[in-house]
Order: sequence, then structure tokens, then C-alpha cells
Amino acid sequence: MSLSEEAAAWNCSACGGALEIVKVGFTYMKGNFEVDLPACRACGLVLVSEDLATGKMADAERILEDK
Amino acid sequence: MNVESKIEPLATESLCPRCLERIPAERRCEGGEVVLVKSCPEHGDFRTPVWRGGPALSGWSRPKAAVHSSVNHPGTQRGCPFDCGICPGHRQQSCTVLLEVTGRCNLACPVCFADAGRENGTDPSPETIAGWYRTALRRSGPHNIVQLSGGEPTVRDDLPAIVRMGRELGFPFIQVNTNGVRLAADREYAGELRRAGLFSVFLQFDGTDDAVYRAVRGRPLLAEKLRAIEHCAAAGLGVVLVPTIVPGVNTGNVGAILRLALELAPAVRGVHFQPAAFFGRHPEPPAATARVTLPDLMGAIEEQTDGLMRVEHFRPPGCEHPLCSFHGNFLRQPDGGLRALTEHTPPCCCGSPEPENRGTGKAVSFVTRQWAAPADGDSIAGMDSFDAFMENHRINTFAVSAMAFQDVWNLDLERVRECCIHVVAPDGRMIPFCLYNLTSAEGKPLYRNKKPSDWL
Repeated sequence: MSLSEEAAAWNCSACGGALEIVKVGFTYMKGNFEVDLPACRACGLVLVSEDLATGKMADAERILEDK
Repeated sequence: MNVESKIEPLATESLCPRCLERIPAERRCEGGEVVLVKSCPEHGDFRTPVWRGGPALSGWSRPKAAVHSSVNHPGTQRGCPFDCGICPGHRQQSCTVLLEVTGRCNLACPVCFADAGRENGTDPSPETIAGWYRTALRRSGPHNIVQLSGGEPTVRDDLPAIVRMGRELGFPFIQVNTNGVRLAADREYAGELRRAGLFSVFLQFDGTDDAVYRAVRGRPLLAEKLRAIEHCAAAGLGVVLVPTIVPGVNTGNVGAILRLALELAPAVRGVHFQPAAFFGRHPEPPAATARVTLPDLMGAIEEQTDGLMRVEHFRPPGCEHPLCSFHGNFLRQPDGGLRALTEHTPPCCCGSPEPENRGTGKAVSFVTRQWAAPADGDSIAGMDSFDAFMENHRINTFAVSAMAFQDVWNLDLERVRECCIHVVAPDGRMIPFCLYNLTSAEGKPLYRNKKPSDWL
């Protein structure tokens, strides 16, 4: 499913508004980067899909993990 | 920094350097130093500095819960450290397993913990080494780093086959501990090792000046070291530079080593310092000035890198005992600078202990990722941000660490019991590295070159 299809399939749980693709800033262990994700512009809530959370987000966390 | 007010004297045990009997010992804080003080009823008092200056030892730890893993141990008779193997009293499982695949060496270093240097001698057979691999699998499982060591392992022509054997038996990460002489002389050799399944080279690298090599290794070696790194880089082998730090020889070269290593990154994945320990015959106690403690080294790194790497960037270990190591990770920046990825925050009272096997797992996972060469990078341009972020960290993370080995003078059995670096002895027992190499002041070994029947 593309990002825009994913955005279209969900509504904001807080305000019920539509989600749009926006640049979302991530900060983890002093690392910052931006990713395009479905989010509610009004409330600031971001949709993190299970695939993303258990896939690339988990990979990014692991690569920063210290011993 | 005043550490005196922050650390309580702590009772532990050690060995008498003269008779190797187990004796009580105490870590005592004296004027900004922590000193291991011990007394043998027959041979008198001994004092060795083990921690000099800041960060304070009192906050230098990560809470851990013990893991006991003693498979098929016959049971303790005299207790630690005399019936090792690993015994039921040990508090940590293996993270790194060392196999000494030869006693021969092509150098004759004045500093050698393995007592190597003989050009001739009999190597263990491939069948014997296969047995050691199987022992390590049975006793510690496959999720360990295997380090092939010696002697100088590259003097064996069948080293690639030994690497391949370990991979085929299921070990995911194999590293060779080497002086680099053969890797420098033979352009094809690094590729042979890589194709056999090797990931990483632990390269003795004591300095950026040949005067250091003459003093520590007996001859100039810098050009060979640099050629070895070049050949490893071309073959896709990660290289970790391993300086043995000897007071008065290369303590002033720490910053230059780090700067050169950063220039040679990403092929060079990091630097792992090892302050020299006193194995072999040393009839008199080493002077306090002959000791480089971990805080001495952290301070030297900060001073000699002009603050590029600072003391607070370094953390205590999550795997071995806190007195045994420190490490810090840094991200190389496009402008030549560094960004610290780690920092040490002394634990608060409400932290819950990590099981020690979690620390072992994290250490293995970090080392397998960091000490291998990064995969041939795709261009970051065009990647999505997550992929670009990960690729940048894979390529540009630079690891700095140090391990303080114990000898008979500063041996602390509490540290020994948390050791996760184990040598597979010829008969298959797994012995903590420092114990395996430990000798009395007269050079009598505790374990090395002794038959099991002599151990108890």
C-alpha cells in the first residue's frame, strides 16, 4: 500500500479529520531525520504503521543501540 | 575529581603474586585513586592502583543480574579461580570465545601475553580445533564472537579453512587477532580470509611512529600495518586497531592513533585500547607509574584529541565487570568532526538490573555490526530518510573502547567472575582470558601450558 493509500484509509482518532502526507521529524539518541508519513495537520497525530514500527524504525533503533 | 568521598572500601579476593594462594583483598580509596590492597600471611602486602581519577568509580556501573551457565562442570573443589571451566559460581556467560590456533609467531615481541614467539612447534590439528568449536557451541551456544588467536594465527597456512570450519559449524562472526605481517606481505590473503567467512581483523596497532614498534614489537612495523589495512579494506574486511598501551612508550600517542584511525575509516571500524598487563616473569611489583588505568586512558583521549572525544562520552560495559572496560561510539561528520552517540549517566537508585545475558547479547550484536566492514554502500542520494539514516550510521559509526586486563598484581576475583571473554583451553575447558594468561611473579602460570591434573 502506498503512503497516500495508507493516509486515505485512516482518519485522525482525535478530530476525525483526514490524514495528509507530511514531513515528520524523528529524534532518537541524538540522531535526527525527517520522514514523509500520514499525519493529521490539525492535531499533529502521526500514523506509524505496524510495518514501519517493526521494520525500518526497529532497524534504525538497532543500529544506534550500544553494547 | 575527588572520588575519595564517593566510594566505599570494598572487600574482594585476589591471589598472592608469589605463591598464587587465594588471599583477601580490598579496593581502597586513597587520595583520588582506588588501590587494590592485599596481604599474604607468608609473602606480605601488595598494592596496585586500579582506578585513577574521574569518572568516579562509585557511579561507574550498569545494574546487572547474574547469569550462571556452567555446562558439564565437574563441580568446584578449591573455588575461584582454581577450578575454572566455567564453574557454577561464574556470573556471566561467554560473549567472545578465543581459540589459540597456534603457539607460533613471526614476531618476537617484548610484550606478549600469550608467551608466543617460537617459530617452530606443533600446531593443534584441524580435528582438535573442530573439537574446540564444538565445545564452545555446547557450552556457550553459537551466538558468540569467535576470535582466532595465538601466537600469530596467520602463520598457519590453513587459517582460511579454520575460519570456514567455524562458519560451517554455525558461528556467525569470526575475527582474527593478528599482527598484520602476512596480511601486508600477501595482497591476496585478506581476500582468501574474507571468502572463507571472516568478517573482522583485530590488528595490533601500537602507534603512529616506528619508535613505538621498535619498543613494543622489536622492529619497525608501521608501513606493514598500513599496507595490511589497505589490503583488508580492498577485501571487505573490517579492521579494528588494537594498541597495547605501555607507559613511557605510547601513552602520548593515543590521540594520534585515533586521528589516523579516523582518517582510515570506514575500513577501520574503531580502536580498542589494551593497557599492558604484567604476564610472565616480573619478580618485583610493577611501579604504580607502570599502570595505565581506564580513567588515565579516557583522560588521555580527551586531552590528546583536543576534546573531540571526551571522558563523559565513554560508558561502562553492560557485559563484563565495570572495572574491565569502557566504550564510546561516535558518528563521523562530513566536515571531519565527530558527534558522540554515547554518554555516561551514572545510574539512579530506581534502575532495574539488566540480566547479564542481555548485556552479552547486546555486546555481541554491537560487535558483529560494528567491527565488520559496512556492506558496499548504495548512494545515500535517492534513499528514503530511514534508509539514508541507517546507511550513514552503518558507514560512519566509529567505535572506541578499552579493556583493562588483570595480572597477578591487580587480580580481583569479583571481576573474574563477571568475565565474558573465555579461552577454550586445550582440554576443552573455558577459562576467563586473564586467568588463562595469569602467571605468578616468577612466571609460573595458573592455567596456560598446564595439564588439567595439575590445576587442582
